[in-house]
Amino acid sequence: MAEIYLKELAHARSGDKGDTSNICVFARNPADYDFLKRVLTAERVKEHFGDIVKGSVVRYEVESLGGFNFVLQHALGGGATLSIRLDTLGKSMASALMRMKIAQDE
Amino acid sequence: MAKKRFRIGGGQGFWGDSNDAAIHMIRNGELDCMACDYLAELTMSILQKQKNKNPKAGYARDFIELFQHVGKEAREKNIQIITNAGGVNVKGAVDAICESAKKQGIRDLRVGYVLGDDLTERLPELIAAGLDFKNMDDPDKDFSDISQSIFNVNVYYGHEPIAQCLEEGADVVVCGRATDSALFLAPLKKAFGWADTDFDDLARGIVTGHLLECGGQAAGGNFDFDWRSVPDMDRLGFPIAELSSDSLVITKAPDCGGLISERTLKEQLLYEIHDPANYITPDVIADVGHVTLDEIGENRVRVSGVRGKRRPDTLKLCIGYHAGYKVETYLSYAWPDAYEKAVCAADIIMRKLRRQDFLAEDVRIDFLGLNALHMRVADMNPRLLEDMNEVVLRIAVRSTDRSEAAKIIPEIAPLQLNGPPGASFFGGRAQIRDLIGLWPTLIPREAIRLTSQIREVR
Repeated sequence: MAEIYLKELAHARSGDKGDTSNICVFARNPADYDFLKRVLTAERVKEHFGDIVKGSVVRYEVESLGGFNFVLQHALGGGATLSIRLDTLGKSMASALMRMKIAQDE
Repeated sequence: MAKKRFRIGGGQGFWGDSNDAAIHMIRNGELDCMACDYLAELTMSILQKQKNKNPKAGYARDFIELFQHVGKEAREKNIQIITNAGGVNVKGAVDAICESAKKQGIRDLRVGYVLGDDLTERLPELIAAGLDFKNMDDPDKDFSDISQSIFNVNVYYGHEPIAQCLEEGADVVVCGRATDSALFLAPLKKAFGWADTDFDDLARGIVTGHLLECGGQAAGGNFDFDWRSVPDMDRLGFPIAELSSDSLVITKAPDCGGLISERTLKEQLLYEIHDPANYITPDVIADVGHVTLDEIGENRVRVSGVRGKRRPDTLKLCIGYHAGYKVETYLSYAWPDAYEKAVCAADIIMRKLRRQDFLAEDVRIDFLGLNALHMRVADMNPRLLEDMNEVVLRIAVRSTDRSEAAKIIPEIAPLQLNGPPGASFFGGRAQIRDLIGLWPTLIPREAIRLTSQIREVR
């Protein structure tokens, strides 16, 4: 089963509000949107991040943009002002998600 | 008076951003208005800290420098400039702007400003009035745990007091904690004569602000889809919105770098929002869940399908409180066995700290160049670890007790002589940094009293 990085199918940007991280993810090719809808579930994203994300993960679908917005609670080590992570704002949460491995024939 | 076309630019993405694009768009952007956002969540607390040390500080000085460059030209071209650079010292910012205007020889400048968002001194009164300050993110947290260590309280307000300044002929409007998008909505609402119940139009104004408030991020900066395709990032243009009574097009000024495309815009459209169908602002609840983006020309994208719903009855209040101390330390190692040496150094440091009964709420051990950004998601393949050219060990600690946080500081440099070979210490001794916690809560609109005023430079 051929595995690829999510990055090959999607692009993303992450931002912060308090200790909540949001990662918006878009299909590079609109034809892949339905496939991503199937495999890139909130549960899968939560599992990918493990203990980096202490709270829930919610996925919002935005079909007209071929994208999703993932909202990750308690995901930034306390939030930008308290976090002792190097990346206090979670700017690299997007690329961290893009390294998720996806089996193409899932 | 309804106007046919209105062009507004986003001149700043945050406090600390470059002034180049703002200067370029005033000169070449055919603007009616430029709005400059300076305030991120943390910024108010930093500004409060500065003001506590120096009562004349507390606003974003960078704006004064920008105004020094563009104030005269903007006034001559009748381009209004709206900003929340006032931070926690709006009057101080107004003083500095007026002084700069005089230096530039600007005549007849009307500087509008908004007061009343800083509730720090009203806090006891609000507590007495029975507000519970329930934490929006963590309803179980107890407000009394922080009520003794608060040092700033600011309410996020909407477009109304800004619009009031514009109605009174302001050329510049200076705000404190106005929401980023309100800086944009106010002039648009005035230009097109929107009513408070024109929810879809108000939402279009808010989305304009949302797309522009991060400056370069809508114009090819931080562009994940294909950053290599963005031309001339060394002179990145910032986005400009062109609105008519029923349309919104995002573009940029001629003769600058950057890229305005469907993809650069959609990465910004969902940035830092939660539920796309309910983007809550003090002015309207915007629904971007059905938005479409169409490339209608080079660096021109039409945004359609924005809908709006009635604004909420409450406003967001952000309370900054002192939350302890943080120390970050660094030590570098080179090939051979760079990673193994760094791991050994971390072990030595932690053993020494434990012998001092070190007490911390949080400790992180990371390796820059390996896993400091992606943390547990990073690739830690043993082959990769074995042959690293170099690595920087980073140990960071957080403690509510200053003396505990300080314990790690003297333990780093000695590793150069006392630990694995080749350690290189840089950046000087680590500093103890104060941490500010943010407590987000909601407050009824009736509790807030905002005022709009004008100061004239003749």
